[in-house]
Amino acid sequence: MNVDSDSDISISDYEENEAGVSRSRTKGKKKATDKRKKDKAKRKPKDVQAYTWEANFARSWETVQEDEGGSLQGAVNDWMARGRRKRLLQPQNAIRRTIIRHMVLLIDLSSSMMDRDMRPTRFAVTLQYAREFVLEWFDQNPLGQMAVVGMRAGVGERICDMSGNPQDVLKSISDRHKLEPIGEPSLQNSIEMARNSMNHLPTHSSREILIIFGSLTTCDPGNIHDTLDECVKNRIRISIVALAAEMKICRDLCDKTGGQFGVALNEGHFKDLLFELVPPPAQRALPRSSAAVSSSTNPAADLIMMGFPTRLPDTSPPSFCVCHSELRSKGFLCPRCLAKICDVPTDCDICGLMIVSSPHLARSYHHLFPVKPYSAVASFDNVADPSTSPSCHACSKIFPTTALHNIVDGMSAIGRYRCPDCETDFCSDCDVFVHDVIHCCPGCGE
Amino acid sequence: MDGSHLSVVVDLCPSQWHLSSLHQPYPLDLGSFVSQLLAFLNSHIASRHENSLAVFGAFPGKSVLLYSSANSPSETPSNDANSFPPFKMVDSTIMHNIVQQLDALDQGLDEEAPSALVGALTKALCFINRLTLEFNTSTANATEGLEPLTLSDPRILVLSVSPDQTTSYIPVMNSIFSAQKLKVTIDACQIYGPETVFLQQAAHLTGGSYIYLERRDALLQYLTMAFLPPPSIRQTISVPTQDKIDFRAACFCHKNIVDVGFVCSVCLSIFCQPVPVCSTCRTKFPIKTLQRLNAARPSLPLTSASQSRNSSTPPTPQKINGHASVTPSQPLGPGGLPPSGSINDNSTFHTNGAKNGLGLSG
Amino acid sequence: MPSNNSDVVDDIRDLTPVLNKPHALLPFLQLQSATSLSRLYQSPSSCLSIFRLLDSIERQLVMNLLWLESAISLTTMGAWVVQDQKKVYDDALDMLSKLHILHISGKLSLNTTFKTSLRHAITGGGTTGSFGVPAEKDEKRPPMDVEGLDGYALERWETILHFMVSSGTGQTPTRPSQGVLYLLQRSGLMSNQHGSLPQITSAGFQFLLHPPHAQLWDLLLQYLHMAEERQMDLVEVLTFFFMLSTMELGREYLTENLSQTQKAMLDDLRDYGLIWQRRATSRRFSPTRLATTLTSSSPSLPTSTGAASSSQQGFIVLETNYRVYAYTDNPLQTAVLNLFVSLKYRFPNLVVGSITRDSVRRALNNGISAAQIISYLTAHAHPQMRKFNPLIPVTVQDQIRLWELEKERLKSQEGYLYTAFASQADYEFVLDYAKQLDVVLWENNAKRCFFGSLGGHSNIRNFIERRTSGAT
Repeated sequence: MNVDSDSDISISDYEENEAGVSRSRTKGKKKATDKRKKDKAKRKPKDVQAYTWEANFARSWETVQEDEGGSLQGAVNDWMARGRRKRLLQPQNAIRRTIIRHMVLLIDLSSSMMDRDMRPTRFAVTLQYAREFVLEWFDQNPLGQMAVVGMRAGVGERICDMSGNPQDVLKSISDRHKLEPIGEPSLQNSIEMARNSMNHLPTHSSREILIIFGSLTTCDPGNIHDTLDECVKNRIRISIVALAAEMKICRDLCDKTGGQFGVALNEGHFKDLLFELVPPPAQRALPRSSAAVSSSTNPAADLIMMGFPTRLPDTSPPSFCVCHSELRSKGFLCPRCLAKICDVPTDCDICGLMIVSSPHLARSYHHLFPVKPYSAVASFDNVADPSTSPSCHACSKIFPTTALHNIVDGMSAIGRYRCPDCETDFCSDCDVFVHDVIHCCPGCGE
Repeated sequence: MDGSHLSVVVDLCPSQWHLSSLHQPYPLDLGSFVSQLLAFLNSHIASRHENSLAVFGAFPGKSVLLYSSANSPSETPSNDANSFPPFKMVDSTIMHNIVQQLDALDQGLDEEAPSALVGALTKALCFINRLTLEFNTSTANATEGLEPLTLSDPRILVLSVSPDQTTSYIPVMNSIFSAQKLKVTIDACQIYGPETVFLQQAAHLTGGSYIYLERRDALLQYLTMAFLPPPSIRQTISVPTQDKIDFRAACFCHKNIVDVGFVCSVCLSIFCQPVPVCSTCRTKFPIKTLQRLNAARPSLPLTSASQSRNSSTPPTPQKINGHASVTPSQPLGPGGLPPSGSINDNSTFHTNGAKNGLGLSG
Repeated sequence: MPSNNSDVVDDIRDLTPVLNKPHALLPFLQLQSATSLSRLYQSPSSCLSIFRLLDSIERQLVMNLLWLESAISLTTMGAWVVQDQKKVYDDALDMLSKLHILHISGKLSLNTTFKTSLRHAITGGGTTGSFGVPAEKDEKRPPMDVEGLDGYALERWETILHFMVSSGTGQTPTRPSQGVLYLLQRSGLMSNQHGSLPQITSAGFQFLLHPPHAQLWDLLLQYLHMAEERQMDLVEVLTFFFMLSTMELGREYLTENLSQTQKAMLDDLRDYGLIWQRRATSRRFSPTRLATTLTSSSPSLPTSTGAASSSQQGFIVLETNYRVYAYTDNPLQTAVLNLFVSLKYRFPNLVVGSITRDSVRRALNNGISAAQIISYLTAHAHPQMRKFNPLIPVTVQDQIRLWELEKERLKSQEGYLYTAFASQADYEFVLDYAKQLDVVLWENNAKRCFFGSLGGHSNIRNFIERRTSGAT
């Protein structure tokens, strides 16, 4: 197979994907082209290749383009600019988000997960990303709780109960031998199972189902649309990351419940889709026109009783905890029933009180008060004022004094990014760091 | 990789330092503080050739990088056969910058503005982030698909003389969480003024050490013993940590410390009793919830509910007004007792005071 | 959320094990008398340098005591130590007291001289001038820039190593100066037994595989031993080393304030590449990076030509099939590799070879041990290699060790071969006798010969003589 035509495929595929078309994929079989086919648009699929070893290379490196000088700077800039543009789309002002979340992670464990279009298998990739997702999710949503359900052999299988402890969840999906994929998946069965486990939840918290779906079929005992209606009624938000192709029912599930739907193009895109669901969702705009009526009946807002525990010092005499029944000296005391708990946040096992410590609340604040995006300073005309600093306001890195060429949209040619409030300049690294990690502007903090 | 990085955030609010210099029985003025600080910084550089240092000054309404070993010096210090060149460099650069900034303050900036500790802290974090990035680029780890390394033992030491400002609660907490992400240890020393709850939490959450300095005359000894050892040797030589941090929160309505509170699900404001409308985000709560919660309220009297906080400003709407969590000023129980016996009979040092926090962690 | 800092520290410790071995100089200092040490401690720069050579725990202990005016009791200090780390703490105290830095007599206190000097070093001031007197800028003759100094130091240092590595291979590289040669011979790294050209010894081969920083100190320690014999004042020699280590790179210093001994040392140190002088008689000198990083713990020898980053990070890729790819064009590194790798191809910036039984045996015969080869490969492994765990492929590691064991498989024993017996009866008669004495090591009935150990020879000879004389 000719090298050039190979690369044509992967690039054109990539462009197609970029355009947002979710590509239908026949299992493990890729399209091939004639040699030196000049017109990409009219490319016809050649007879389908039957064996994996005849498939094309995945030329992932070809998606990165060198410029004339052979430098990758352009590609790097492009990548960074994408991140910036994404941030600009985020709302600037304090918005309402559901801070207290409950999520059921539905993992497809049907035989189609053994497909090898993601290396080594979809199943292995899914488990790995699921683990990363769980960690990041609990990091950003300290007050959230998560359960895991598997779809295997036509039934839903409870893998992990609703828990606020990331370690519990991680442990349940760490052993791949217990999760070996088999049989057909059943969307309805497993959604019903997830729905039932969230029925009792209070209204102020979100109820979410995230489905990682690898099959193109579902094997259901009843009408799945009834299940869908129930979910809508119960305000359950369903999001789906499909690994194969778009299915009408999947799209409907997401659209009607207000979730997100996406088809993963490759491993990287799969991860992106998954991690888009990490930050807490903005609360859906309720009709605010009749504010008096709607806000009083706003089901999403509620007052929650929470306990702030006393932390026992490491040197205190050991005693049994209620969660593991182990002798420990560390721990927290539930303020209502004085039961000893190993870790917070959690619900007290004895009296059911939600127990948090104040830092957990504080960890969620940045979702409510995001930092305004910085604007890219276009040219040296904007820094002609002698009072502007020659170095980054945060990390004191000296700004470049020569402008860069061929800069993509949204990037600053002179490497300066300006806060709209305090009007100080930051370098691109600090721009990313401030918005992604610190969540408060070093200039405005003064 | 070998050296450890230390960023020092110094509170240089002139009015607070003036108060400190008058405070009995252990007055400490800015001049002698700076000279002791310089000795401490030199000790850090002396410990290892590869150690790096950055010093940030928090002035009223402004924070400035006073010195960093990453930025190449503009001028070489004058010839002197009696001092180690790097020490000379640190001393002269920091003195020069402090004097310059204080002069600028005289020329009109608002001296009453609170110290920009938060700004300095976030800058210190950005700086460590920059070092981490540079370190990764230089070792070409990032490009070759290896796990990005973190610097070994980066830490931040905050030397504060100002009281907590409620408005800086969120930024401080955000800084603490980013420090956790960067694996930065935050040490804190309150040299003058009331105990600061924010810094206590910062030290506790990042595994650092917090000291409330009572014997201000022994500043240098405290700095050396508690803050000089890098985290790697703190497993052998213990440094004071707080054993008893209270993570209870204060309610927004009366500033009471609460055991069991009522939290608005939208903005996470805390109230000590069920309220019909959230005072922060104006959300109205369902009547049913109120009735249920009122019925379920614990019959126990809230332990420290009567204790009123010093600040009386009501929370302003649309902005969470830092609910300074945690009890005010008795951080150490008997669990944190230091070794008995006085180290020095004359002047410089003693470990006897239970409140100074020089306890053993192990 | 609890922080994970301690985990990270553990991780880092696993990667770079904290060297528990004290610095090579410290045992030497321990041997010195208390009076000469306290003379040494009069100089702030020496105190600072020795302080840096100490272990981190010892440094912290010194710092804890530095600003105290009076002694504190042992129990007070001990209370700061985590219980299960008590041994580390005790070792640290022991080391400090052997160096006469610490007085332990129920109470702990620093040596007064040391305390005063270290305080001076940290706060500045004093009139000792122990950090060297910098020269005023001379417009006509600007000092050598840092790159120049690095190049000079590197050239000098590699000349020495290159001379060692290529001795005996027939090549004739540039000879280092006579003083260096003398030092190399005195230290046992090279020997002069085979005629005029000195030959590298097995100690020398081992020396080559040491990290550069250790090599430098090895030589300087030898220099110190030699200084004792040359009746030089040891304290002045040490003071000068420490003064150099606290000097600033790229600056010129005056020789005027140096003592006579120290001026004499200038020549030697110039040969080693520690200092640079415009002319031998110049009244100024500049320390090179070799000198200014003497007390830093990591080797920051100026890196080899053109490969600024690679030699610091390692350049060797070793595959499981014993192939070695070394990204270097430094002749010294190539020569060192050649000690235990059979080199196949050379390209600009790349050398390819493989580890073979012969090449390793050659190295083993030269006195290099398998552990040294493995540690050299580990220390210079390419960053790409660091992804693997273990770093060096297990097959290769094991094989190198097996080759070392193989060498120890044969035992040689001296003895005599008895042969040419007249008849089978004679042969058996003597053999029986020898077997009774239990001295037979080997026998071959078909050829009528056997091998007896050295100890049994006189008996056997007497026996045969008796037999032959009795027969006749």
